[in-house]
Amino acid sequence: MESSRKQRWQQLISMIEPGFKRMLVISVALHLLVPILYYTPLFPQAKIDKPPVYRVNLVNKIVENPQAGRPEAVVVKKKPKVKPKPKVKPKVKVKPKPKLKPKVKPKVKPKPVPVKAKPVVSQVQKNKQLSTIEKMKAKLEREAAAEAQKQKIEALKAALAADSKIDSPVKDAPVGMLDGTGDEAGISAIAAVREFIQQQWSFSEYQAFGSPEAEVKLVYNQVGTMLHYTFVTKSGNDQFDKSLIRAIVKSKQLPQDLPRAMDFEIIFNLKDMLDQ
Amino acid sequence: MKYFKAFIVCIALLGWFSNVASAARIEISAPGEKTIPLAITRLLPMPGTTVSSAVAVEFQQVLLSDLELSGLFDMVDSAAFLSDANKLGLRSNEIDFYQWRLLATDALIKGGYKIDSGRLTVELRLFDVVTRRLLSGRRYVGKLTDVRKIAHKFADQIMLSLTGEKGPFATKIAYISKRTGRKELNLMDVDGHNSVRLTAHKTIVLNPDFSPTRKELIFTSYRNGNPDLFRKEIYTGRESRLSLKQGLNIGGRYSPDGREVALTLSKDKNSELYLIGTDGTIHQRLTNHWGIDVDPSWNPEGDKIAFVSDRRGNPHIFIVDVHSLEVTRLTHAGKYNATPAWSPKGDKIVYARLDKGVFNLFTIRPDGSEDRQITFGAGNKEHPRWSPDGRFLVYSNDLNKDKSIWIMRADGTGGRRISAATARDSHPAWSGRW
Repeated sequence: MESSRKQRWQQLISMIEPGFKRMLVISVALHLLVPILYYTPLFPQAKIDKPPVYRVNLVNKIVENPQAGRPEAVVVKKKPKVKPKPKVKPKVKVKPKPKLKPKVKPKVKPKPVPVKAKPVVSQVQKNKQLSTIEKMKAKLEREAAAEAQKQKIEALKAALAADSKIDSPVKDAPVGMLDGTGDEAGISAIAAVREFIQQQWSFSEYQAFGSPEAEVKLVYNQVGTMLHYTFVTKSGNDQFDKSLIRAIVKSKQLPQDLPRAMDFEIIFNLKDMLDQ
Repeated sequence: MKYFKAFIVCIALLGWFSNVASAARIEISAPGEKTIPLAITRLLPMPGTTVSSAVAVEFQQVLLSDLELSGLFDMVDSAAFLSDANKLGLRSNEIDFYQWRLLATDALIKGGYKIDSGRLTVELRLFDVVTRRLLSGRRYVGKLTDVRKIAHKFADQIMLSLTGEKGPFATKIAYISKRTGRKELNLMDVDGHNSVRLTAHKTIVLNPDFSPTRKELIFTSYRNGNPDLFRKEIYTGRESRLSLKQGLNIGGRYSPDGREVALTLSKDKNSELYLIGTDGTIHQRLTNHWGIDVDPSWNPEGDKIAFVSDRRGNPHIFIVDVHSLEVTRLTHAGKYNATPAWSPKGDKIVYARLDKGVFNLFTIRPDGSEDRQITFGAGNKEHPRWSPDGRFLVYSNDLNKDKSIWIMRADGTGGRRISAATARDSHPAWSGRW
């Protein structure tokens, strides 16, 4: 039986053409080589850049402290203002009472049964038990009241949030931005300066020729007064540069203080305007 | 001592580096305001002159109308003006700029007039309120009837000061009007005033075009029975036939250097484009196709001509190279595209397209990209032509079946009617610098 199997195997082997094994090995090696080569730098893979997404805030004007009062803003220490405890208490007090009564009754009833010789002790015990029950009742009431108050605060918060919720698709927007998830510290100084200077800059699309770009360095002290400015590069478009000078002169006093004396290197161009 | 010096240098370098590192980089890629707040004060009489409020009122109206059309400005309401508006301050040190800053004004126009034995002198100033500088100052002298002209001239000057390129308000528009019952050639100001009839052919006059170098016009007229091409000198009134070949001699357009005219001739029974000299001799045949080729329009370099042809079935815009005579198709959309006009800056071609039974204006780049509609709504808008600075377009519009001449900005905004009602005006052409 075994010899017949061997014979068949040998027959099968004899059917294979000489050099087949080598071909097989080469074929496998070549197949392996393709994926290996694919991940080498010989096959540079074009990166698919996501197109930039711009959000334009056409409604909100710049304010000094835009996040103040926003419910989804990060809570800062001042928030526990909502402590109107007394209002909540009376509503919740009543609920836990009926649950406690049946627990106490069975313990109290068997008291008259014991022997007459121990009435003083039993009275003391009774008083003690009553006082502990009272304490437990009070504790439960307090817990229930606290729980009810907590729930009410949560409900109020939710209602307030629903009223004034501003959905921001920019989840990771910079802290303090108008459309972001900043805290009550307010808008960042750089964003505020950018917004203010942009508002001072007037230039008509009918004045625009080519793609002018200029860079200006502005130096402000801590109270937001411009100390001096210099053109790092001019655009070559006289009207464009003059419009920048007008914007800079109008921005010589910022509407709010800066966190410290700051320098700004501002690149002015018309990319967004010309794209429109 | 050495160590002390090194220490000082290190401190200085550290200070410099820290200074460099602390500069915040910001990019501002669009202005906050896309118009310039401008205050135009009323023209005031200069000392020792007779007061003529009509001069001041007319001047203000014309200047305001021109500057509003430009789209550059946001006019400050004159009701808000403070005391400085009533002072004739023509020097920067006589003006209370603080008052104007309170009104958020960036630019200020002040002026005074003087009437002396029928001669009108107008002094005008444009100030930059923010930097407190004089941007432009002009003195105009003329007749009392020149008030409108002076206002147009100063509007051009303001455009030059604020954009670096002169405005087109002191130029002229030629057009065909049927107010006499026959189609005749007329000429008017850019705001539609001072209309003058130039021809009295008592037949059909069509398709005028200004010479870029001289104050003369070419147009087609049926005066002699055949649609011949005429030339007319505007000031002398002298008129002559420039091309009188058998058949059509239509759509004549001067080359940018004014030495040749491209036009459609049908002398060989089929409408083809030709180049003729200013003496009327044929220089070159530009097209040779069984289709109808009409409405040529030169590019500013003078080496290409856009035209309309039905060689592919429907009328579409094509471009022919004047040197190689190679023809390329420009428009593919629409079923009826006509009357192309190449902008003086060379970046756009405006044309009329029939869409849903109405002609509207479209612009397209010479490479065929950015084909976009610029007029909308009822009324056929046809025969568009560019202003010499390429900022505005003039065209005919038959809104409410009343054909008239309209003007608008090159982006399609600010459209306004300029020709008189019920005059049945069409085929406008904008002059060069007048």
